[in-house]
Amino acid sequence: MAAADSPSAALRRRDLCSRGIRLAGKMRSDVLDLLDTYVERQGLDASASVAAVEGLPTAAAERWDEQTGTQRLLENLSAYRTFRTLLAQMLEEQREQLGEAEAALGRALAAVLLQVSAFAYHLEEMLRLESRGPPSEEGAGAPPLPHLSLFERKLRGLGVLRELAQWAVRSVRDLRQLAKPGPEPSPAESL
Amino acid sequence: MFSGRNWVARGLYLLLNICSLEVYGGLVQSCGHILPESPVLALGSNFTALCILNESCLDFGNIYASQIIWKIKNRVVPREQYREINRTVSSVTFNDTSSLATPLTCNILADGQIEQNIYGITVTLGLPPEKPKNLSCIVHQVLKLTYPMTCTWNPGRHTFLDTQFRLKYRWPHENFPDCIPKDVNNSCTINEVLFFVNLEVWVEATNALGKAESDPLVLDPIDIVKPLPPHNLSVNSGILPTVLKLSWENRISVAVMKLKFNIRYRIIGDTNWMQVPPEDTASPRTSFSVQGLRPYTEYVFSIRCMKEDGVGYWSNWSEEKTGVTTEDKPSKGPAIWRIIDASHSPASWTVHLMWKALEPFEANGVILQYEVTVRPKSSLSSPPERFNVNTTNLTLKLPNGTYEVAVIARNRVGASPPSVLLIPASNSKAPVKNVRTLPKDGKLWVGWTAPNTYILKYVIEWCLVSNSSDCIIEWQNEPGNVQGTYLKGDIKPFKCYLITVYPLYADGQGSGQSVKAYLQQDRPSKGPTVQTKKVGKAEAVLTWNHLTVDEQNGFIRSYTIFYKTIDGNETAVTVDPSKTEYTLSSLASDTLYTVRMMAYTDEGGRSGPDFTFTTQKFGKGEIEAIVVPVCLAFLLIVLLGVLFCFNKRDLIKKHIWPIVPDPSKSNIAQWSPQVPAKHNFSSKDQMYPEGSFTDVSVVEIEADDKKSFSEQDLKPFDLLKKEKSTSEGHSSGIGGSSCMSSPRQSVSDSDEGETTQNTSSTVQYSTVVLNGYRDQTPVQVFSRSESTQPLLDSEERSEDHAGGGDSTTRRQQYFKQSGGQDEASADRPCFEGTKQITSDDEGDLVRFAQLQVLSQSSQLLGFDLEKDTQEAALSDVSETSTEGQMVRPETGEGNPASVDQMPKSYLPQTVRQGGYMPQ
Repeated sequence: MAAADSPSAALRRRDLCSRGIRLAGKMRSDVLDLLDTYVERQGLDASASVAAVEGLPTAAAERWDEQTGTQRLLENLSAYRTFRTLLAQMLEEQREQLGEAEAALGRALAAVLLQVSAFAYHLEEMLRLESRGPPSEEGAGAPPLPHLSLFERKLRGLGVLRELAQWAVRSVRDLRQLAKPGPEPSPAESL
Repeated sequence: MFSGRNWVARGLYLLLNICSLEVYGGLVQSCGHILPESPVLALGSNFTALCILNESCLDFGNIYASQIIWKIKNRVVPREQYREINRTVSSVTFNDTSSLATPLTCNILADGQIEQNIYGITVTLGLPPEKPKNLSCIVHQVLKLTYPMTCTWNPGRHTFLDTQFRLKYRWPHENFPDCIPKDVNNSCTINEVLFFVNLEVWVEATNALGKAESDPLVLDPIDIVKPLPPHNLSVNSGILPTVLKLSWENRISVAVMKLKFNIRYRIIGDTNWMQVPPEDTASPRTSFSVQGLRPYTEYVFSIRCMKEDGVGYWSNWSEEKTGVTTEDKPSKGPAIWRIIDASHSPASWTVHLMWKALEPFEANGVILQYEVTVRPKSSLSSPPERFNVNTTNLTLKLPNGTYEVAVIARNRVGASPPSVLLIPASNSKAPVKNVRTLPKDGKLWVGWTAPNTYILKYVIEWCLVSNSSDCIIEWQNEPGNVQGTYLKGDIKPFKCYLITVYPLYADGQGSGQSVKAYLQQDRPSKGPTVQTKKVGKAEAVLTWNHLTVDEQNGFIRSYTIFYKTIDGNETAVTVDPSKTEYTLSSLASDTLYTVRMMAYTDEGGRSGPDFTFTTQKFGKGEIEAIVVPVCLAFLLIVLLGVLFCFNKRDLIKKHIWPIVPDPSKSNIAQWSPQVPAKHNFSSKDQMYPEGSFTDVSVVEIEADDKKSFSEQDLKPFDLLKKEKSTSEGHSSGIGGSSCMSSPRQSVSDSDEGETTQNTSSTVQYSTVVLNGYRDQTPVQVFSRSESTQPLLDSEERSEDHAGGGDSTTRRQQYFKQSGGQDEASADRPCFEGTKQITSDDEGDLVRFAQLQVLSQSSQLLGFDLEKDTQEAALSDVSETSTEGQMVRPETGEGNPASVDQMPKSYLPQTVRQGGYMPQ
């Protein structure tokens, strides 16, 4: 935390928080647009119920307000690393299924993937400022792809995007929380 | 010997060819090669090449490195740059590769004579890439979710080589594929960038000579966005006539960036934009109400946006939309003026009221009508007259006096404040002074000096002065606190305007002060036509007419008259522009002059047509000056002559009119012929036959000699003397010369016919003493005086004088007959004898008598004297002919006066008529 106390670190942290918030907001906006496009292009019902994606942490948290900053960052980082893997899989599947005719959907997916990757980088940088450093990606990330049908893959993709939209909202809230001055020392930090 | 050496050389050359083209494995193998092989070199660097000979060729051709010649194209490299490294390697060094060219060849001089190429390389020259500079990037929003980033840089100098530029970018934790420019070397566009993450961007330039990288640029692409402008702009009228509400849509998500805006607007038709204060639109929004607008005015709006924090770029201006504010009542009354025409009736005016339509910003709507109120100021009791008109003028006929005219304009919303004009009986107030004009910025500025008193406003009248059209008055109002304004109208250049300034007071107006002005001057469109009014010997009066206003194109500042002779220099004379006449002086007489005239404005002059005239040969009065003195001199001479003659009349008389003695007073008149029997006329013919009596001589007898004669003898001499005078007159009348005519006359004198006998009773006879021919005894003959003619006064006087003085007695004359034709040649002595006579009075008398006869015989004067003389001479020679006698009467008849004056005595008549009696 010593690094966080220095003025430059605080400035850097604030900047990362600010831009992370805006990036999460932009990501949410783009994911929502992508959801509309995805539903339309994949021929799905926007109100269709999708089961939780396996291995993907949910955005909902029972004691969200009790979480420490580092916890928030770590959870976010874990989630976005998973999203990055899932979206990369989805992008690969889209290219195989839809070809060049659906290049727009692929570009939108790529753009969201890029944002997810960028947000993960933000989180890693913020963790570095917390003198914690980002955890290794080994062990983290998405589970191996199960053998699913095409429709199931479409629904899975819909589920990933919806969850990403949720996480985008949560991330904004988490970062705003982190951006607040004078955060209480979290239990994790005391560890 | 020589042929043998040549053969050896040929053999060596063949061997070298064989060696150099040694076939090995089916390929042609060279005898050597150059290192490096086709290098790329930096311009300006040094370079060394090696030519390495194959050992195999040495064995065959006895060729060594010392024989190598380096060439650039076909130019031999100087040997100073060679270096023989060993017997098979030669190097060449270039300190500056700029002198290099392609190809660089290695050649061998076989046997010292024949040059053979061994190897060649291509040299490529160029420059390493410079470090790209001035890298900058911008993110253009092209669609709602599409944000390509374009980066530009300065590629640096031209490298002359194929140089590749790459735009490289990366996140700190992730690399992206390079952006490779297409067709350019100074920009590249990355199709998609991600916001809110710092991106490191740099440019890498690479060619065969090296690689260079620009300084990296680290940026968040969100900070370099140029967003799309808002769209779907709409303008709606508000409740107030000064407000319009704008609405629009933004094309960039708030999640991406928050926006601020600029709103600009202008009145349609106007080019100047006004802008809503930026601070009013510095927050994200999609609508705005613009206030402070003019009523009933159409506005154009446009909007743009950028990131709220001001980092980035403004978008382009949006499409323009128009909106119209609602009406309001007119803000002011129309400007009013009048023209008073008092020419029709002295007791009343015709007043033409004029007012200007309100400007749109004053009318605030559509003007429906004007209300005009005319109130007499003199009689307040009389009610005002009201007129509602739709036009902007009104003509009224009003009695002389002072009136207050008010005009208001009315639109749908309401009426304007009234405009009031006082029409006074006279312009008795102080006028403005020093009215002046100045063309400025394509407009005509009018200035004046205000009177000292308070001025309500000014009215500036102007009209275009032209020959072809009337002066149509235009006018404008100006507030009382200004002393100059631009004319608001279509002021044309090169036209003359008459501008009048009236000051309006609260209680009257001042008289107008006028000035003429041009917005812009030009040369006159034509020059004056000059002509002569009067041309003299050394001067000419030129006249011309002023140019018309339409021809002037400006103020005529001067005229210049150019005149010249055909071969002379042109002379210029500057003339005041007010003149229409000028006198050219010091001209040469009788010379053709060409004259033309130029009229000048401030912008230059133009010449009129040429006019030619010729000066006169003589000046005025010059002929008179010559003729009059000549005449006067002539008259003077005549007068002097007359006076001289008058003074010398006696002398002249003496010379011209000889004294003709009065026969009646002569002594012979009292003498009675006592021996008439002696007068034997018949015998006379015998005694003096015609032709034998040819001449009469005058013999002077000295007075002293008188005594030698007896008294009796002298008497006949006196008679003879008288007779001689008469006969001399006759003779002189014939020829003017006694010498010439005397023979004939003598004949006539002596040849008296029978008629003399008839008159013997009344005519006395003279005695003629005839000398004998050549010492013969003269015969005294008494001859009757032939003359019965009254004598002239002079003759009478001479006669009186002669008689009075009796001088005849002093010097006696008598005729001496010189007979024979031969004697006629003795004219000269005869003349001399005459001269001798003229020395005395008596001689003079004789001559006078001759002249008298000459003057009396006018017909004789009509004849040529010489001719007559010749005639007489002929008659002398060939005896008197009848023909000669016939001539004389004819000529004598031509002068009847002289005939009338003749007394009717027989013989003189016959004689005078020029004839001789046939004898």
